[in-house]
Amino acid sequence: MTDTLMPERNNEGFLENAEHWSPKVAEIIARDDGIDLLKNHWEIISFLREFYKQHEMSPPSNRLFVKAVKEAFGEAKGNSIYLMQLFPGTPAKTACRIAGLPRPTNCL
Amino acid sequence: MTRFKTLHILNKPPEHARYRLCLSAIGPQDGLLLTENGVLAITQPLAINKERCFALAPDLEARGLLSHVSSDQIASFDDMVDLTALAENVISW
Amino acid sequence: MSTLIIIDQPPYGSWEGREALDMAFSLAAFDQPVSLLFCGAGVNWLRKGQDATTIQQKSVERNLAAAPVFGVEALLADNKACDHYGLTEEDLLDPVSITDFGPELTSRFDHVAFAG
Repeated sequence: MTDTLMPERNNEGFLENAEHWSPKVAEIIARDDGIDLLKNHWEIISFLREFYKQHEMSPPSNRLFVKAVKEAFGEAKGNSIYLMQLFPGTPAKTACRIAGLPRPTNCL
Repeated sequence: MTRFKTLHILNKPPEHARYRLCLSAIGPQDGLLLTENGVLAITQPLAINKERCFALAPDLEARGLLSHVSSDQIASFDDMVDLTALAENVISW
Repeated sequence: MSTLIIIDQPPYGSWEGREALDMAFSLAAFDQPVSLLFCGAGVNWLRKGQDATTIQQKSVERNLAAAPVFGVEALLADNKACDHYGLTEEDLLDPVSITDFGPELTSRFDHVAFAG
């Protein structure tokens, strides 16, 4: 994909405008982090996109990201180990970046 | 000295919305400590027992209000610490 | 240890209310029992049908709807303030309950805090 097709991103790789996201964009951002997006990733990404549509914000911290996932999918997926395996680093940051959402406000 | 259920520390002047909110939250076993602009409250009618209402001396003095209050109601910083310790809870408005 | 966070500032005009919301979310993140109380002009946070797109802000209505997801225990609205702003139960966001502000309410919490 050429630069013209990649929407504008900030210095940490987050999209400037969540509306400019597409699954294709997600794959490119994920590749920067060395992640191949599989079904389990897409489940969380869709969840985050929907969360953002509903609440006009990203989960503000990693803990709240885990809580929100737990609320939606239960303990098996709403835990930091599962989410860290899918989205290494700080899962909330990595997942929000791939989902095209703003940076979680309270993540370092 | 009286023990308080809640000590309310109020630093807002009478026109501030939170001033009224604070006054409406004072229960019969509570105390009120006025600080900063809150000391202006002593020029207003207050529906609280004088034994439970105090104002911080430096803030009264700065505003020329020391003579408006009986000496029992004037609190030094040390008194403020004691008042806080006498209360089960403190709310800073 | 339970905390009541009071929002008495109207939405959109200043950041204090959002800071208060952030405090509530942070307590909830660490599983500390926390409730939010809207008083005075703060009850305008709770009116249904907000859209802040044209003033380039995020809707506090939608932000607040995340409170139960994050584990905030209750969203409370002061009865008198609702009356004052013409808000009835039907005008308010779903998880909100109307309550009477006073010593009985505040004494149910170990801590009462404001932002701003």
